[in-house]
This record gives sequence, C-alpha cells and structure tokens, in this order.
Amino acid sequence: MKIRASAVALGLTSVLVTTSACSSAGSSPSSGGDSGTIHVLVYGDASNKVEKQIVETFNRTSKVKAVLDTIPGADYQAKLNTVINTPQAPDVFFNWGGGSIQPYVKSDLLLPLDDMIAADPGLKGNFLPSVFNTAVIDGKSYGIPMRGTQPVLLFHNKKVLADAGLAVPRTWDELLGAVQALKAKGITPFALGGGDQWPTLMWYEYVFDRVAGPELFQKALSGDRSAWESEDAKKALGMLEQLVDAGAFGSNFDSVKFTDGGSPALLAKGKAAFELMGSWEYATQQDGNPEFAKSQLGYSGFPGIAGGKGDPANLVGNTNNFYSVLKKSKHPEAAAAFLKLMYSEEFVKAQLAIGNLPTTTNTEQFLGTAADPDYSKYQYDLVKAAPSFQLSWDQAYPPAANTPIRTAVQQFFSGKLDVDGFVRAMQALPAS
Amino acid sequence: MSALSHMSGSVGRLRAEGRTGVGVTRPGLAWAVPATVFFLLFAIVPLALVAVLSFTSWNGVDAPRFNGLANWTSLLHDPVMTQSVRLTLVLTVAGAVVQTPVSILLGVWAAGHQRNRAVLSAIFFIPLLLSATAVSVVWRAVLDPNFGVPSQMEWLFGDGNLMGSQAGALAVLTFVGMWQWTPMHALLYQGGARAIPRVLYQAAAIDGAGKVRQFLHITLPQLRNTMITSVILMLVGGLTTFDTVLILTQGGPGTDTTNSAFYMYRRAFKSFDFGEGSAIALVLVMVATLVSLAVVRLSGYDRMRSTSEGL
Repeated sequence: MKIRASAVALGLTSVLVTTSACSSAGSSPSSGGDSGTIHVLVYGDASNKVEKQIVETFNRTSKVKAVLDTIPGADYQAKLNTVINTPQAPDVFFNWGGGSIQPYVKSDLLLPLDDMIAADPGLKGNFLPSVFNTAVIDGKSYGIPMRGTQPVLLFHNKKVLADAGLAVPRTWDELLGAVQALKAKGITPFALGGGDQWPTLMWYEYVFDRVAGPELFQKALSGDRSAWESEDAKKALGMLEQLVDAGAFGSNFDSVKFTDGGSPALLAKGKAAFELMGSWEYATQQDGNPEFAKSQLGYSGFPGIAGGKGDPANLVGNTNNFYSVLKKSKHPEAAAAFLKLMYSEEFVKAQLAIGNLPTTTNTEQFLGTAADPDYSKYQYDLVKAAPSFQLSWDQAYPPAANTPIRTAVQQFFSGKLDVDGFVRAMQALPAS
Repeated sequence: MSALSHMSGSVGRLRAEGRTGVGVTRPGLAWAVPATVFFLLFAIVPLALVAVLSFTSWNGVDAPRFNGLANWTSLLHDPVMTQSVRLTLVLTVAGAVVQTPVSILLGVWAAGHQRNRAVLSAIFFIPLLLSATAVSVVWRAVLDPNFGVPSQMEWLFGDGNLMGSQAGALAVLTFVGMWQWTPMHALLYQGGARAIPRVLYQAAAIDGAGKVRQFLHITLPQLRNTMITSVILMLVGGLTTFDTVLILTQGGPGTDTTNSAFYMYRRAFKSFDFGEGSAIALVLVMVATLVSLAVVRLSGYDRMRSTSEGL
C-alpha cells in the first residue's frame, strides 16, 4: 500500500513538472505570480523571525514588494528541488552554498551576482571572505550570506576535565593522553552521535584538514580522485582508526544520536568528557540542560597535529546560509536591493539577538548585543582569523554524494571498511 | 465448427435470459466507471509513468533524459540494491514468523469469555492506535544505550549497541514491527475464532480431547483462511516497511538495514536521482506481486475452500 502511495507521489510530481515545463516553454513565466513582487523562499525554523523583520523593512521603501515563503525544514530541499524549474519558482531562495546550489548552476538556473557586486562592491566586501567564498562556483558569486556561521568546535564538560586533572588538549598527543586518562576513570572520552552519521563525518573533516591541509579535500572535490589515496589521506585515516581502536568514542556510538538528545546528554551528565559538534551544541545544551550550559560547558578549537600541513586555526562546518537569485527573476534590481539589507545594521543586530552569528565585517561592533557576547565573540574571532573554513563535506558535494559519504564514514568507524575500502568508497562518489 | 455453433448458441441463450429474466440483469458497465477512473488515474497512470521514468535520468530540475537501460544495469551491479532486496525479504519473513504465533494466541485468548478479557484486550490494542512514527520515536528512547533500558540491564544487552550491528538493528526493527502490528492481527484471529461453530468443541470434548488438542485440531485448522489473510497483510506490510527504518535506523549501520523501500526513498528524494528511484520502485512492485501470487497459489486461497464443509 505504501509503495503505491509513493509511486503515485512520484508519478504526480512528474506529471506536474512536465506540464509546467511545457507551459513555461510556451510563454515566458511571470516568476512568483504577479509582476510587482519578488518571492523569497526560506528554510522554516526559529530564525524566520529575522527574515520576516527584514522583509518588512524592505517593503517599507521598495515599490516591488517581497513575499516571504517558509517551508518546514525537513521538507525544504525536496520542495525547492521540485519548484525551482517551474513557474512557481521563487526569485530569491535560501541555501547552503557549495554543493547545494551546484546542480542549479549547472542547469543554468541561477543568476551570477557579479554584476550586482560591480554596482555595489559592498555586497562582497562587507562579508568575511572565508564565508563568502562558499557560494562562489567556477569563479562566479552565486550567494550572499544571510544567517549565522556555525563552525564545528570541541565542546567539553569542565567538571569532568577538572576531576581528571586534564587541560583542554591543544595537540593530538594531548588528545590521545586525555583518552587514556578518561578511559581509566570509566568515562567515555568523546560523545559521538554515530546514529546520525554526520557527527562522525566532522572527525574526518578536521583530521584530514590538520594532516593534509584544506587543499586535499578541495582537490578531491574538484574531481581529482587520486587525492583520496595520497599518503596524507592514508595517514589521516590511520589516525582516525587509532582513535576508534583506543576506545575514544566508547563502543556503542552507532546506537547514539545527536538529534534525539543522546550525545548531548552524555556530555551534560558527565558520562563523556568531550563532544565535537557544530556551534549549535551551545543552544542545544541551553535548551536541554540549562544549568550545565551556564556553568560547565566549555569550548575550544580542534587540536593541531604535529607535522601536519593544516593550520590549527582552520575551521570546518557550516560557513553560513546564503540567498541566491534565480536567473529568470523579473526584478533582479529589487533582489539586489533586498540582498543589500544582509549587511545592514538592523540585520546584524536582529541575528545576534536570536543567537545567530552573522558574518559581516561590521558584526564585530555589535557583538556586545549578542545573546551570549563571550561565545559570539569567541566564534567570530575564530572565523575571522581562520585561513580556511571548509564547508562540511556532505554539503560541499552535490546532494547525490550525501548518503555515500555518510555511509562510508560510518562503516570505517565501525570497522566494516578498512583504509582501502574507504578510499574506494570516496573515489566512487558522483563527480561534482 | 460444431463448437463454434455451440458457443454462439450459448451466447444467444444468455442474451435471451438477460432480456427476459426479472431482476437478474447484470449491472451496466457504467457503474464501474468511477472506481475504474480513479484506479486508472491514481494507480495505473502513475505506475506507467514510473515505468517510463525508470528509463530516464532525472534530477527533478531539468527535463528527464532517456538513458536506456543505464538505471537498470547500475542497479543490477549495485551491492546495496541486491542487499536491499535480501533485507526486505528477511524483514518480511521475520515479521510474519514472529507475529503470527503471538497474534494467534492473543486472538484466540481474546475470543474467549474470561474475566478481565475486555479490559486487557483494549490495552493490547493501544499500539495500533499510535502512528508508526510515534512508536519508532518512543522505542528509540527506550532502547537508548546510555539512558534507556539497556543501561539498566547490562547482563542482557551488553554495552547496548543494538543499532550498531546488522543483527541487532534487524532484531529491533522486527521487534518494534511486532509490537505495533500484532494487535491488528490478533483482532483478525479473534474474529476468526469467534466464528468457529461451538458444536465442534462440544463434540471434541465428548470424545475426550483436552484444551491443547482442541486448539491444535479444531481452532488452528478452522483459522486457515484467517491465517492466509493475515499473512498476506503481513507480507505486503513487511515488503513496504519504511517509517520504522527511517526513524529507528536510517538504513544503518552503514547500509545494513537499507531495505528496498528505504533505498528507493534515498535515491529519489535524498540523492535526487528519480530515474533510479523509479527503477527500485518497479522492482518492489514486481517482488510484491510475485510474493502475493505465490502465497495465493500455494495456500489455495484462490479456490476459497470452505472450512465448514460437512457441518
């Protein structure tokens, strides 16, 4: 019965898409309905508060009115993919930069923003370059940062570290030392939500960066598959294997998830000492364990690796979210005016107030107004000083590669794949 | 020649009867139009479109491009696909094997007239009222290795890494499926058991058969048709298990619990490869059709033999 339902869904989608494709071939579509509006499609969640406010600000002065359409988060990508080449497509839409827009660039649906930037250099100059570059594809800019940055940090439980007489590890050797000391005390060194798979991937992103530098992944992403079998790649994999074998993550991490609160609880309750997680760990802990978040939650960058090629200041994670503009939008000049608001004072203050960390160059002067000024300032300085800020692998590749990447990282950690098996799995990823 | 004239003769006779018979005329074809139209529109047309899509490469954005047999050959050489068919069959068979005995015992018990039966039956029925999503979320929490039941019962669960191994994850999926679907099948068996003529038990009691013999030699054979219905429902449900996989294991660890329905979803709606997703959907349709046909043939369900012959 369920098969039939999905078959119906699939079939209907195809009917809708083919018919709408036909109609758009005949007459030029009025993007977003009537002529006096631009539609802005965003990922629906708590941050929509700011997006609503900015749209209102825009509409106060603009002749062309902006309409905000929100799609509940889990359905966002599928919905966007369904409408983007139809007359129902928005003019401006939310995305993650990198691989998330690459297929649309390939299909020639997106408007390069370089002309807008030529007219108003502030559209590029007012953003931190390491973030802005995430939405640059083949030398052309396709997105303007529009939310907060989310670097991956090493969080820890201050009390557990103090009880074990440990300092925050700055090097790989200190990290391995901490693993031994914590295991001896019966504490899982690193909480890991392996059931979600993407938290496991974060370990690869950092260890590969520290050992081989950001260039290795960039090389692999651009299609040079030999990068995966290089000396450095194998060395990084060997170190990860060593970490898993040492019991750094305990033995049941594949049954634990971050998304259902499992791994954050391990950290908060002192059953684990560290968790490598995106900056949203802070908000998650504030939500679930407010006492812990206030007094015992510590954070630091990922340790450096001696002899490695990567700068210990390099970051990985979600650089930011972006607004991109569709080529067929009837009001690109209105879209440009709308995008300019993304570095306005009002925007920065509103984002900071809800706990997001915008990546404009003027963010610094408003950090005092953030929900938690210390934490925001710490992150901002990291991002600003980072020589490289690598977008998460699963988002840097186009969506088709998403599951194979996650499957491979899970299987390597659980021992189902060896080094060669992992290398082969990564080499088999759909080319970008 | 003679056969032909015989046939035309019989057709003529039928027509004559149709015209003269009072109140036995067949309903006109027009009556079947609404159902047929809906079936065509929502089952046959989409199925045909999926069949067409399975020969295309389509990311949902550009127009579909025909790529011949590329999807099919890549599926044929895709170890995850082969594994997914095997896992689908394993989950389906395990579901039927585990659920059937429990449902029969519960259903037959619930058909009796014991004290507290109605209250307990109502409680047993609760899981069926919950959505599969809610059930999966609850069981994930209950089976959490650090904070759930396994952390209190280390002698049974070890380190509680249930979702970390293929066997553990499959066992969890089968168990949660059983927890959720047993009540419905118990209900079927309850109805079936209630319909068994009392005289059979009375006769058996006179002949000296105890409870166990009565169960084995009267109840079970009399439930044969109910059993076939129930097993077909289990098989069809098992083949399309999706929600529990999505929430409990996400097809993992790795791809160890990626059954065909989940794999189809992953290819089509996560990787935006609708061509290959459609091909997987068609494989599922074919497997489901074959399994249903096999069950109907093997069980003699198509002949619909009565269990009340000679009564």
